[in-house]
Formats: sequence, C-alpha cells, structure tokens
Amino acid sequence: MTWIDFPLYSSISISLWILGLLFLLISYKKETVFKFANLLFIAGWVVLILFVIKLWIELDRPPMRTLGETRLWYATFLPLIGFLTYIRWKYKWFLAYSIAMAGMFLAINYMNPETYSKTLMPALQSPWFIPHVLVYLFSYAVLAASSIVAVKGWYDSYKGKFNIETLKLADNLVYIGFAFLTLGLLFGALWAKEAWGHYWTWDPKEVWAFLTWMGYLIYIHYRHFHIHKTQQALTILALAFVVLLVCWFGVNYLPVANTSVHTYTQY
Amino acid sequence: MSENQQTVQRNLWENPWGYVESFFIGFGLLVTGFFLEVFVKTNNTFTISYPYNVFFLVGYVVALIMLYKWFSTTQIIRWLTKVPASISSIVLVTLLVMIMGIIPQIPSENNIITNLGLNHITTNWAFLLIIFQFLTCLGLVTIKRISQLKWSNFGFILNHLGLFLALIAGILGTGDLQRLSINVYEGKPSWIATDAQKNEIELPFAFYLKDFLINEYNPKLALVDNKSGSIAHNNGKNLYLVEKGETYFFKNFEVTVNEFFPNSGRIGDRYEKVNEIGSPPSASITVKNIENDSIINSWISSGSFRYPYESLKISEDYSIVMTIPEVKKFSSDIDILTKEGERISTVLEVNKPFKFRGWKIYQLSYDDKMGKWSNLSVLELVKDPWLPFIYIGIFMMIAGAFYMFWMGNKITKNQ
Repeated sequence: MTWIDFPLYSSISISLWILGLLFLLISYKKETVFKFANLLFIAGWVVLILFVIKLWIELDRPPMRTLGETRLWYATFLPLIGFLTYIRWKYKWFLAYSIAMAGMFLAINYMNPETYSKTLMPALQSPWFIPHVLVYLFSYAVLAASSIVAVKGWYDSYKGKFNIETLKLADNLVYIGFAFLTLGLLFGALWAKEAWGHYWTWDPKEVWAFLTWMGYLIYIHYRHFHIHKTQQALTILALAFVVLLVCWFGVNYLPVANTSVHTYTQY
Repeated sequence: MSENQQTVQRNLWENPWGYVESFFIGFGLLVTGFFLEVFVKTNNTFTISYPYNVFFLVGYVVALIMLYKWFSTTQIIRWLTKVPASISSIVLVTLLVMIMGIIPQIPSENNIITNLGLNHITTNWAFLLIIFQFLTCLGLVTIKRISQLKWSNFGFILNHLGLFLALIAGILGTGDLQRLSINVYEGKPSWIATDAQKNEIELPFAFYLKDFLINEYNPKLALVDNKSGSIAHNNGKNLYLVEKGETYFFKNFEVTVNEFFPNSGRIGDRYEKVNEIGSPPSASITVKNIENDSIINSWISSGSFRYPYESLKISEDYSIVMTIPEVKKFSSDIDILTKEGERISTVLEVNKPFKFRGWKIYQLSYDDKMGKWSNLSVLELVKDPWLPFIYIGIFMMIAGAFYMFWMGNKITKNQ
C-alpha cells in the first residue's frame, strides 16, 4: 500500500471539516460566520484532492481498484455534490450532511477496515460501481428528508396550522432526489449492459427501483397540476417513501428475493 | 393550472373527462387484457421482429402526429393529452409492475396466477395494453410540447422524449435481440452456440481459447458450530481472510496463521507446496483458548474437487474451518477466427465485453466444480440492433435529470 501519508492528509481534512461544521452550526445564529465554514470545507477538500493526485501518481493507475480506494472517491465527490447543491438551492444542512458523510468515509479508511470483508465479486468490480451506489445513496437520503417534511406537513395540518412553505421544501427535495434517483437507475442500466449483457432484466431489485421511480413520478405530476390539493400530495409522498423502503430493505423478504442479483446484504 | 378551489358539478363522461373516466378506461383495458389472457391461450409470446417492428414504429409515430395535428379537438385525444390520463396510466403501470415485484415470475402451481398470467407480467396482455396507453399519452404530450417550439419546454422534452424512445425501442427491440451462449474449451476451436431455447446456431466465426485464468482471494476462516454445522461468528458475515502471520479472535479463541499455501498437498502430517490439478489451499494455525490457555497446532484445508477438506475441532462445540476461496477475477484469453482467415486476439473478463461485428461478447461462466482448474469457459454473445436508440433515450433522460436538478420545481420557484 502506498497509503503511507494517508493518516496525515485525512486527519488534516477531517479536522478542517469538523471545525467547518462547527462554524456552520454557529452560522444559523450568526450568518457572517458561514464564509469561514465554507473556507474550511474547501481547504479540507483541497488537501484531500492533493492526496488523491499524489496517490494516483505513485500508483501509476487510477486509484479505483480496492474498496478503500472506492471510499476515497466517495469522500472526494461528496463535498462537490454538497457545494453544487448549496450553490443552487442554499440548503446549509445538506452541505453539512455531505461533508459529514465524506468525513465518515475518510474515518473508515483511517481506522483500517482490513478486518472487514475485502472480497468483491467480479461483476461488482466495475467503474460504474461508485457512481451507481453514490448517486443512489444521495437520492435515498434526500428523498428520506422529503418524507420527514411530509410527516411534518401532516402533523401541521392536523394541528390546523399548515404552511404551504413546508410543501415547497418537500417539492424541492423531491426534485433533487428524483434527479439523482433517475441517474442511479440509468447508471445501473448502463452498467448491467456491460456486466450481464442486458440493460434491463426485471430483476426484483430493478422492479422495485422502477416502482420507487414511478411513485415519485406520480407525486411530481400530481403536484404540478393540483397545486392546492396539499393533503393528497402529502399522502402520495408518504406512500412513495414506503415503496422506496421496500426497495431498499424489503425486497430481501419478498417471495421474489431468491431470483435477485442484488441481495448482497445476505452475504 | 386552470384548477380552482370551487368544484363544478359534472356528470360522468361529460366533457372533459377526469380521473373517474380515466381509471374507468384504464380498468377496462386491464379487464380486457386479463380476459385475453384467460381465453386466448397462445404458447408463443407476442413479439415482432425486423422489419415489422420498424413498420410498427414508423406507423405508430406517424399516427400519433396525425392524431395530434388533425384530431386534437376530439374527446379522446384531448383526454389523452391531459393530466388525468397520464396519472391514471402511471398508476396502473405501477400497479402491474408491483404484481411483478411480489409474485415470482416463474411457473406457478396456483391456478389464479397461471390463468391470469400474473407470473409473466411483461408478456401479459393487460400489461401490454396499459403500456400502450401509457406510451400513447407520453407520445402525444411530447408531440404537443415539441410543436409549441419553446425553450422553456427543453427539460420536459428531454425527459419525456427520452423515456418514450427508451421504452419503445426496448419493447420493439425484444424481437430482434439475440442472446447466445457458447462453451469454449482450452485448445479447441468452437463455433456452435446455443440460444435460450437450446437450439444450436452456427456462428460465422470461431473462438479458440488459449487460456482460461482465475484469480482467487485467499480463503477465509470461520468458526463453525459442531452440532448445527453453521457459522457461529459475526452472523456469518465479515469472515477473516487467511493471511500469513495474522492473528484473529473468535469468541474466546485466539487463532494465529503460521503458514499459508494457496496450492498444496498433504504429505505425512503436514502440507507442502505443490502445483498440480486440484491441489487445495491450506494453512497451519495455532489456536489458543484464552480461558484455559490450552494450545492446539494443526493444518486445515478447504479441500478441492479432488481432495477432502480438513477442519480443526477446537472444543466440544466449535471447529475452525477454511472456506472455499472466492473468485476475484476470471478471464479468457481467446482468438477469434473468421472465415476470411483473420485472427483477432483479445482477453474477455467480467465487466469487460468485446465488440465484434455487431456482437458483444461477454465472459459469462466456467466449470465451477473445477474452479481455477476449469478448462471450459462459457461466453455469451449479444446482438441488440436497437441499442443505439435506447442509449439515445437514456442519455436524454440523464441530461433531463441534470436539468431537473438545476431548474427544480417551476411552481416553487415562481412564487
């Protein structure tokens, strides 16, 4: 392993990010502090990128082969997605979330995951692996957030003080999450063509991923044309999340599970 | 957008059709489809192949354009381009796919499932009819937006036309999709492939397997319950890879790997490195019981198709076993021989198919009983002439997803 300097680089990055997260937290009270948070995030990110470049040069190949290297790429791309989303949508918590996730991946690498399963079946060893999983992780996280908002909306209207802003937040989250969901699904199709010879085989996980996609598609279409029917929209959003949960965890318990190539959690 | 808070009293089937009518029509299609499933028994599934699928596609698209251009004032076309029709068809497609997600798509002994064809949804008449309505809606609204010629429709068109293209090319392309598999043995040319129905098909070129190679991970160590025979450690997950010099802990046992040979044979009371067919991996381990400080030294082996495995009983309840090594990578070093006398060398690997004369050639499998000594490699050949259209559709949707991420929800933004 040419990861000799990794503890140094990663601890600098993680420290800068933790400091940045603190500033971000303070910035909810005092807005001016927020730029320090950003500076710290970017500084930590630059350090990480320097390490990736160094590693790449030393290995003389793209560092995309082992699981540890995969996590390194997660950690590198997560802040980028966080920044892009922030620049566009101004969600501080989302930036914090992606930075924290990136930090977590660095920490896992730092704590030496060698005792954990290192074996990766040949079909999973593909350049599509990272984008496919990364994009799905993000999409699920954002859509989960949208359904938390939906529950809040329900509670509010039960209390009789529903605010339309709640649903607008849910809308934005669904749009971002749905964009990522679409990407995950399509990346999966492109990968499947390379690995199994066909882009779509109605594998149970694929079926439920498709259903999840359709669920949010219903929400988007419904919201677009029935702006004032907020209750129904909230219900659709909650149901769509149930389908997402079935896709994520539930498939393994359905009678169709043993015909799936995606039941990785059983091993 | 024209929706108001007030409700207008209106009779069923009165202009314009709403959700009740939409679902009425949708369920009508479903019932018709299931009716066809039950009473029109055919063994061959509905597929159309070249050139009829091309005729169908052209005819369908032309028909959609003509319908939109000249008949957009009629009740049915107006309905098809409005939201209730879209939402009801999305809901019904979702419903049918959900059936597919719950009932295994394999032959069933249940009469209801078999008669209604619920175990082959993708070729079920009900599904085909609903998908047809879905595509017609999708096609018409796409034509509607395209004909408006406005930049603000850009994202809409990317998403909707992309989906339309990918779906229709996927459905119509099934008839032209060829998937063959071929067994290739080391040192012998092979050119007879078989399709899914086990028909033999002669290829216009031959494969010559020079070498089939497997890289394996090291085997893993597991603590096994003597009575149940199941793994009694970490819920059967995250077993430790056998690595010379490493020490691992299983409950109150400390296991040290003193020596590890990937290929070995038993010689007397120990294993030695050998290099012959079927020589299994082995390791010398020291097991220390932390409770009473007793120590056992022994050799264990995962065995192979030629030699039995050897485990180590360390107490009344538990044994240490070595698992069969997992495959890291397998690849075939092949030559493709053409009738014109060409010889093309390539290495096939999982996730790294090779393109040759319209075929994509995949490393599929091998003789898994023989493992790394297999001299058989199973290749798969796939020809899908509709793939470019599907990719255009997919890439339009990818672009549409980026657009969607960036633009967000119009309603939210404008307010």
